[in-house]
Amino acid sequence: MTAASPTPTIDFLSEAKDLLPPGASFDACVGCGLCASGCPAAGLYGMDPRRFINMAMLGMNEELATTPWVWACTQCKRCGYICPMGIDVSQLVGLARGGWPTEDKPKGIVRSCQAQQMDESTSAMGVRSEDFVEIVEETVEELREAQPRFAHIEAPVDKKGAMFVVNQNSREPAVEPEEMAPMWKIFDYVGADWTYTSKGWAAENFCMFTGDDEAWHDMVKTRVDAINELEPKVWVNTECGHSFYTLWAGIERFGLEANFEADSMVSYYAKWIREGKLPVNSDWNTMGLKFTVQDPCQLIRKSLGDTTAEDLRYVVKKVVGEENFIDMQPNRSANYCCGGGGGFLQAGMNEERRAYGKRKFDQIAATEADYVLTPCHNCHSQIDDIGHHYAGGYRVAHLWSLICLALGILGPDERKYLGPELQDVNLPEET
Amino acid sequence: MARRYETDVLVIGGGATGAGVMRDLALRGIPCILIDRRDLAAGASGGNHGLLHSGGRYVASDAETAAECRRESELLKRLAPQCIDDCGGVFVAVEGDDPDYARAFPDHCAAAGIPCEELTPAQARKREPALPDSVIAAYAVPDASIDPFRLLLENVGHALNLGNNAYLPHIEVEGFEIDNGAIKTTRCRDMRSGEAVEIHAKQVVSATGAWAERVARMAGCDDVQLVYSKGTLIISNTRIGNGVINRLRPPGDGDILVPGGTVSLLGTSSVTVSDPDDIHPTNEEVDRILSEGADMVPVLSDTRFVRAFCGVRPLLMEKGAEADGRKASRGFALFDHESEGISNFATITGGKLTTFRLMAEKTVDLVAARLGNTAPCRTATEPLPSGDALRWTEPGAAARDWHERADATDTVLCECEMVARSVVDSIVADAPGAEDHMSLKAIALRSRIGKGACQGAFCAMRVTSHLYDAGIYDGPDGLAQMRDFITERYRGVRPVLWGAQLPQTELAEILHVGLAGLDMTPGKEKDGTS
Repeated sequence: MTAASPTPTIDFLSEAKDLLPPGASFDACVGCGLCASGCPAAGLYGMDPRRFINMAMLGMNEELATTPWVWACTQCKRCGYICPMGIDVSQLVGLARGGWPTEDKPKGIVRSCQAQQMDESTSAMGVRSEDFVEIVEETVEELREAQPRFAHIEAPVDKKGAMFVVNQNSREPAVEPEEMAPMWKIFDYVGADWTYTSKGWAAENFCMFTGDDEAWHDMVKTRVDAINELEPKVWVNTECGHSFYTLWAGIERFGLEANFEADSMVSYYAKWIREGKLPVNSDWNTMGLKFTVQDPCQLIRKSLGDTTAEDLRYVVKKVVGEENFIDMQPNRSANYCCGGGGGFLQAGMNEERRAYGKRKFDQIAATEADYVLTPCHNCHSQIDDIGHHYAGGYRVAHLWSLICLALGILGPDERKYLGPELQDVNLPEET
Repeated sequence: MARRYETDVLVIGGGATGAGVMRDLALRGIPCILIDRRDLAAGASGGNHGLLHSGGRYVASDAETAAECRRESELLKRLAPQCIDDCGGVFVAVEGDDPDYARAFPDHCAAAGIPCEELTPAQARKREPALPDSVIAAYAVPDASIDPFRLLLENVGHALNLGNNAYLPHIEVEGFEIDNGAIKTTRCRDMRSGEAVEIHAKQVVSATGAWAERVARMAGCDDVQLVYSKGTLIISNTRIGNGVINRLRPPGDGDILVPGGTVSLLGTSSVTVSDPDDIHPTNEEVDRILSEGADMVPVLSDTRFVRAFCGVRPLLMEKGAEADGRKASRGFALFDHESEGISNFATITGGKLTTFRLMAEKTVDLVAARLGNTAPCRTATEPLPSGDALRWTEPGAAARDWHERADATDTVLCECEMVARSVVDSIVADAPGAEDHMSLKAIALRSRIGKGACQGAFCAMRVTSHLYDAGIYDGPDGLAQMRDFITERYRGVRPVLWGAQLPQTELAEILHVGLAGLDMTPGKEKDGTS
C-alpha cells in the first residue's frame, strides 16, 4: 500500500470529540500505551493506536488521512477495550478509511463491496439470489440421496413465520456447498424451525470495511428488510464475526427498525447442548487431540461480549473434552485479533497481514493445539494462512464440523478442514 | 584556584534580552560570554504566554509601550518567522464588561498606529467559534504567538555560529570586584560543580530581569528598583482558539488565551511578591484565571489542562508609585550606572518579550560605544537563521520530522510529542549548552520532552534510559536527573489536578515511585531533594 492522494482533510481531534463519549475522547489519553502494547498492528507503517491519538493531538491530520495503516488496523477495538480511559481508536480509523478516494482504497475490499451492491443477495462473491436458491436446493437433494438419515432434511428459503432466520457466508454456496450441510443437520437434529432469506442472505459486509457508511447502510437495510418480511423471532448469524457486528451495530447506527432479536449460532449451539437437544460428547476423541478457540473480535469484544465467549468454550469443551481444550492467552474479550478482519484478508497487503498475524500464530503455537476452532470465516482463513506461512502444525475448523463429528453425523465429504486422522472417525452408521 | 575567563562583554542572564544582547554583540563583532545561574529562559522569558503583542493590550494605559510592541512585532514577524505563528488576535468584551472601555479601543489603537478592525459578534464567533453568545464588542488586531524557547535558542545559536563567544549555563554571580569605578572581575560559582569561576570582561551587562535589582546592588548600584509581579498561566492539552483571544477590559486575571502550536495558554494572574525566587503557581490563582477565562471562552470549563506555571515580571518602580503590578509601566529601562560611579556596567530590565530585540539594541549601542565599536546594529535587518538542533521546541516539529523520515530504527522516546532518539542526540550534540553536561531538564527545554499530556511520566524514563545507553549518563547521575526533572514537572501539574490529569499523575507516580523508586533517589538540585 502506498499513501493516499491528498483529500479534504479530516480534523481527527474534533471528530473524535463528536464520535466518542465525554471523558473517553482523544484528549483523555494518559499515554499508558496499553493499546499499543496489545495491538497486533503496532509497528506497521510506523503506527500504533497511541500514536494515532498523539498525531491527532498534534494536528497531523494530513498524515493520519493518508497513512495506509488504517487498512492494516482491523478495527478490532482491543485498544478501546483495554484502555483505562475507554478511548476507541477504531472508530476514527473507520472515518479515515472513508476519507480515502475510492481509487486509492485497497481494491480487493472495494471490489467486494461493489459486488455486494450488484445484487439483492448482497453476496461479495457474486452469488445472486436465484443462484443461491438453486445451489441450496441442489445441495439438499444431494444430501438426501447420500445420507439416508437425512432423507427428509429441509433447507427452507423465504419461509414466512419461521422461528429463526439464518444467513450464510458466500464462501459455502460459491466454492464448498457441502460445508452448508453440517449446520442444516444440526437444525434438523434439534428440530429447529428455520429459514434462509433469498434476499440479503449473504453473511459478509465489506462495505463497512471500505469506510463507506452509505454502502454499509444499504447492505444492512436490504438484510433487515428481508428478515423483517419473514417475521422471525430471532435472526441467527452463522459462524461469522463481522456479519453479525455489521448488522447488530448497523441497526443502531442507522436507526433501522428490526422486528427480531439478533443472536449468534454459537449461543444456540450452547443452548441446545445445555438443553440436551444436541447430545454431544468427546468419546470420539480417543487420540486426545488438543483444541483451542479463536474469539472473533466482532462477535465477542465488539458485540456480544464474554457471555458468548463462555458459550463458545462450553460448546468446545463438551465436544472435544474439557481436558483437551487449551485457551489462548489472553482470551475472550481481551483476545488478540488474528489479522483476518477489517478487510485485511482482501486488501492485498499480504506481508503486513502476516506480520500482524504473527502475534496470533505465536499465541496458538504456545497452546500446542492440533486444531483451532473459530466461528468466523475471516478468522478461519487468516489463521489457516498464517499456520502455513509460519509452518505451524495446526488445522482450522468450524464448530459445525466438530459438533456433527461428535454426534456421528458428519459425512465423509464434509471433512475437508479435518486432518487425515479424523477422516474415518465416528462416520455415520449408514455409510 | 578559580576557573578564569576573559572576554570583552560579560552578559549576565540567559533570558530573551540576554540572548538578544549576545546576538547583537556577535553581529557587531564584539566577543562576549553569556552566563545564567540556571539555563536559558529560566525566568520570565520561559514563564509567559508566548504572546507577540500587537500592542493592543497596552493602548489604553501605555501608548508608548503599545507602539513599541507594534513596531517590534512587525519586525520579528519578518525576521524570525520560524519562531512565530502569525495567527492574529481578537479583543472581545462580553456582557458585564464596560462598553465605554470597549468603544474607546479603536481610537486608542489608532493613536498607537495599531491596525484594528471592528467585528460584529457573529463575525467574531465565526473567527473564533469558542467565543460565547454574550460577546458585546470585538476587534481584530495583528497579535501573534511566539515560541520563546526557540527564539532564545536561535538567538544564542546564531551568536555561537558567529564566533568569539560562549554560553555558560549554571554559572551564578556571587559578587563584583570593583576597582577605580569599574568592575574588574565578576566572581561566580559553577552551580553544579561548586567550582569558583572568575570572569574578566571590559563591560558587564546585567540582563537579569526580575533579579536585576539584586545584581545591581552587588555592584553597589541602588538605582534599579523593581516590583515583582508574579503571573501564573495554565496550559491546555489541546489548542482552543484559532488565534489570540484577549478580553477587552482593563487588564485583569485570565484575560488572554494564546495558542501555542497544539496547546493554548491561559493567563495570567498578577500577584505582587517580595522575592522573585521560589515562586509557584497556586490553586487560588488557577481557579481565578480559569473562572475569569471561562466568561470569555466557556469551553475552558471543560478543558483538560496539563500544567500551570508562572513567571515574575520585573516592573520598574517609578519614584513614589504604588506597588501595583497591573498599573506599573510595561516599558523597559536601560541603566548605565554612571551616576552610581561605575563606568563599565549596564542593566537592562523591565519591558516585554515582544520588545526584547529593541532592549538588546539599546543596550549594545551603549556597550559598543563604550568599547569604541562603531558597527551599526544589524538585528533590525538581519533575518534570524534556523539551527538544525534548535527547531525542536515547536509542537509537532519532531513528530512530522519522524513521520517524514519513516525510519523505524529511530525509536520514539517521547510518545506524546513524538520526539525520537535522533532529536535527543542532536540536541545533546549541537544545541547551545551542549559543551556542558546536559541535564534532562536542559534537553526538555530544547525540545517538547515532558511538555505533552503525560508531563514526563514516560519520557523521563525513556530519555534517561537512552542517555545511559549512549554513555552520557553514568552511575546515579541519570536517576538524579530524572528526579530533578519530574520534580519540576510535578510542581506544574499539582495545581491542575482534576479530570484526566489526575489518573495521568497517578500513573506517573506508579512509574516514578513504584517502579523506579525515585522517592529514594536524591536529586542534584536543592529543590529536587525536598
